Amino acid sequence: MPGLREVQERFSANILDADAVGIAADVKAGAFEPRLRLQVYRNNVFTGLTDALRAVYPVVEKLVGEGFFLYASNEFIKRNPSTSGDLHAFGSGFGPFLATFEPAKKLSYLPDVAQLEWNYHEVYHEADADAMDVDALQLVTPDQYEQLQFRLNPACRLMQSIFPVIEIWRVNQEGYCGDQTVDLDAGAVNVLVLRQGDEIELHPLDAGDYAMLAMFARGDQLGDCLGAAQRINAAFDLTGFLSRFVGNRILVDFTAR
Amino acid sequence: MRGPHYREVVESSPKVGFLEVHSENYFGRGGVPHAYLERIRRDYPLSFHGVGLSLGSTDPLDRDHLRRLGQLIDAYQPDFVSEHLSWGSFGGRYLNDLLPLPYTEEVVNHLVGRIHQVQDILERPIMVENVSCYLEFEHSHLSEWEFVASVAESADCDLLLDINNIYVNAHNHGFSAGDFLHRVPGSRVREIHLAGHTVKHYEQGTIIIDTHDHRVCPQVWALYREAIAMYGPKPTLIEWDSDLPELDVLVDEANIAQSVMQEADHARVA
Repeated sequence: MPGLREVQERFSANILDADAVGIAADVKAGAFEPRLRLQVYRNNVFTGLTDALRAVYPVVEKLVGEGFFLYASNEFIKRNPSTSGDLHAFGSGFGPFLATFEPAKKLSYLPDVAQLEWNYHEVYHEADADAMDVDALQLVTPDQYEQLQFRLNPACRLMQSIFPVIEIWRVNQEGYCGDQTVDLDAGAVNVLVLRQGDEIELHPLDAGDYAMLAMFARGDQLGDCLGAAQRINAAFDLTGFLSRFVGNRILVDFTAR
Repeated sequence: MRGPHYREVVESSPKVGFLEVHSENYFGRGGVPHAYLERIRRDYPLSFHGVGLSLGSTDPLDRDHLRRLGQLIDAYQPDFVSEHLSWGSFGGRYLNDLLPLPYTEEVVNHLVGRIHQVQDILERPIMVENVSCYLEFEHSHLSEWEFVASVAESADCDLLLDINNIYVNAHNHGFSAGDFLHRVPGSRVREIHLAGHTVKHYEQGTIIIDTHDHRVCPQVWALYREAIAMYGPKPTLIEWDSDLPELDVLVDEANIAQSVMQEADHARVA
């Protein structure tokens, strides 16, 4: 009599690795052969995981079509099985997978669109944050400025793409009726994905602002961030930057030494 | 309760006794799901129903999963917390499905140990639910009801009895759903699930799949009447997870369950 661990090993191999032999001998036949009964489970598992991907990646699905999406997601599930009982955690690697997935190679912008959709999914479930205590910030003394560290709103993500991903995303939203043509050579874009309350927004950022936020996100100090931003844009305006990004609740906290 | 109904539930406050959510849908740290759940918690008792703990797996219990579930319980203080008598992972790979277990003493003992571990970590009792099955194992030597009753008695925990799952399994494996109802310990049934299913036709016959995408069928309502007559009134949930209908349809189904309980109550008094 096989032990439980053995049963589970063979069952999961049957579903994920299509090992058709292992578990079938342990399954009662009756009117239906074991292969058919196991097929019901394989179908349920793949449908469940594909639906989870579909919920996160609607624009990718629209761009490649339903049939191709199903094919790509089946391959993804087999090569990168879920590692969590929380289905919302499944699918973070779909963008990188698409980048190496031969049949999708021609659609070079697809991995970045997928990354944008994953960021969107993450901020949907992320923690909320209160606005920064501006009075406390005003008490910081000039000798502390260099070492200031700013914390970004947890419900925001930064990404860069050589493709106009915000535009691709926008014209592929459900209910969008305008012109769907996007010039793929329109230029690189820095993207901030941000949730404010119920609303998720996609903002293009200029190179200086992006550098500042990306470095803050890494924990770098204001002096270093500002130096980097000024190398990109000699006229970088720190006061304007702070008032905008504190005002719209993208910078939500700080640490002074 | 599912995301597409959040707004309407908050705006129309339907008259139902409690609301149940999949715990894992609130494992995120904030955002829209929590904003609604907080509002809904003010007006309704909550039940947290887990689908991802993989209780019956032989992998170690996922501590991170339990930590997040524990935080959720602390934050919302639900009336009920439940999981399934199934498994869903092996070797760290998750299939995210409610997979079947052999009905043997080994598995009963394994589940009892896992239920105790979970209850110790969460510092509260959990209910366990019978699942739909599409196959049986050759070496199962207990019937499903013996298996379910044995786990509940040995672990000393309550049951979330899914009557649609009993109906589905009775059809798929050829036993009497009525017998099942009579043989599980009624005093341990704390909640009941009802749902719709899909009959799949093959050359050899039919297999019923537990799809949660239809109204409850008449045969399952009949079993529910039988169960309530036997066990007395029990908090009853209508499960609907795909092809979601208008909220009214769900409330209507819940009202039918309510009226079954009232009829049974009158019959008892008379």
